[in-house]
Amino acid sequence: MDKTISSSRRHDLAAYLFLAPYLTLFAVFILLPFVYSLLLSLFRWEMVSLTPPRFIGWGNYAEALHSDYFWKAMWVTFKFVIMLAPMMLLLSLLAALGINACGAFRQPIYRAAYFIPALISVSVAGILWRWFYNTDFGLFNAYLSELGWRIPWITSSKLAIVSIVLMTLWWGIGGTTIILIAGLQGIPDSYYEAAAIDGAGRIHQFFYITLPQLRPILLFITVMNIIGSFQVFGQTFMITGGGPELSTRTMVQYIYETAFTNYRMGYGSAMSWLLFVVIGIFAVMQFRILKEQ
Amino acid sequence: MAEQRISSIPQWKKSRVQWLIEIIIALGAILMILPFFIALLATFKPETEIIQFEGVFPRDWTLINYQKIFENSEEIPVIRWLFNSILISSSITILVVFVTSMAAYSLSRLRPPGGRAAFTLIVATIMIPGQLFLVPVYLILNFLHWLDTPLALIVPAASGAFGVFLLSQFFYSIPKDLEDAAEIDGCSIWGVYWHIVLPLMKPALSTLAILTFIGSWNDFLGPLVFLDSTTQLTLPVGIALFQTSYFIEYGITLAASAIATFPAIVIFLIFQKQIIKSISLTGLKG
Repeated sequence: MDKTISSSRRHDLAAYLFLAPYLTLFAVFILLPFVYSLLLSLFRWEMVSLTPPRFIGWGNYAEALHSDYFWKAMWVTFKFVIMLAPMMLLLSLLAALGINACGAFRQPIYRAAYFIPALISVSVAGILWRWFYNTDFGLFNAYLSELGWRIPWITSSKLAIVSIVLMTLWWGIGGTTIILIAGLQGIPDSYYEAAAIDGAGRIHQFFYITLPQLRPILLFITVMNIIGSFQVFGQTFMITGGGPELSTRTMVQYIYETAFTNYRMGYGSAMSWLLFVVIGIFAVMQFRILKEQ
Repeated sequence: MAEQRISSIPQWKKSRVQWLIEIIIALGAILMILPFFIALLATFKPETEIIQFEGVFPRDWTLINYQKIFENSEEIPVIRWLFNSILISSSITILVVFVTSMAAYSLSRLRPPGGRAAFTLIVATIMIPGQLFLVPVYLILNFLHWLDTPLALIVPAASGAFGVFLLSQFFYSIPKDLEDAAEIDGCSIWGVYWHIVLPLMKPALSTLAILTFIGSWNDFLGPLVFLDSTTQLTLPVGIALFQTSYFIEYGITLAASAIATFPAIVIFLIFQKQIIKSISLTGLKG
């Protein structure tokens, strides 16, 4: 009896020791920052000034909600998400369906080709597209000029965010496509065979078999896309720097500038929480909409 | 597989539709890859040809851009950045593999009291957007005096919940018999982990390692915020900062970008099957 107790104690002790390194890091770099950031958001604190942090309650939140810059950045981010998310879903679904219908031997080649852009750093992707988009010597305008066109891809405050969305589609479509192909191939063939025997056409099969079967994956992809694209930063930072006229300055860039250029740590944290709340609302909405249908 | 699905379509029509789809997919694939070729070819052009675009292929082939990278190591320390990137990404990968595999083993096999609650808490944090951690982690790293050192990127990277989740999923798919047998034979828990669990987990661990390496190699926001001195930067962030803040020749930036992209693409081409499978799995499990 004694022996089993001590051996199970030893077992638990070993289990905790195995867990300890990860849990320590998790506590210091996930849990602590989570709480710390909430506290920070209630303080006024300029890191470079000598004035110590001062508790101001909801002051930072009120400041953000009354700031035109905050709403501008939120609006830019929102526009980006609204343009990108549906296009990303639609295009990657079409790509996945298309690739899945191709000859089995050529499928891996197409899959790799669609995925390779997703492998590069946003900084490299940004460098490439900044060059392609350049109004004067960019690749796009070099070819378009032969038609007599000269498009201000990233120098027009109306067009710049659209150009960023286009570049992001190229950069990001691969990952979603791969997940969707796997989803398509996971649908049992017998479903389609049965439907074919019942005389269901291809379009019918798509709406009554493929889409419902893909729903959990579509839900996952949409939610992850929404969470990711609300945090867009690298593309705009690299290609437009937030310009022209702040037309591409996203929330994360504004937070980045607030905290690490102006060192307003409290205000930056408050805006992080506001963005977190917006992302949360959208993610939950997606869950509701796609789950209920 | 695809053949059977559209068997309801007449033979002649099927092949025609299929060919049309395949042609569109192939054109799309070319479109996706084209930017790489155009950029790669441009690295062999003299600067004047890049600024005055005349065609995709260089008129005068030259290695001058790569030469300049190696010669101007004072101004643009690309080699140093490459070294930093290799050091940081490899350290992160090794740390993540060990720390998370031990945690996943403990949580899904040893199951200590409180383990379930801990697992739920850990997995719940996957959904928290990373931007929330930017400011507080910066301040914590500042407190630890780790800012502007490789530690600032290496240590926090191992706190991510994704690895624990991925490996725990894997544990459900392998039988426990071998571990039990080893334990009965008097193997210590550490011995079981080292001699049995780690070798068994090889496929899952290599998946995690590949994804971690590529992810940290390409990380942008982390090095941008947590590193400061030119000599400490990673390759992607180094070229990015130099391109946006200094006047620098396009040819050099593109050549440096090619060097920065090379490792990720080579790793992908070698481990293609595994990477695609693991990305599919993360999607299907979610």
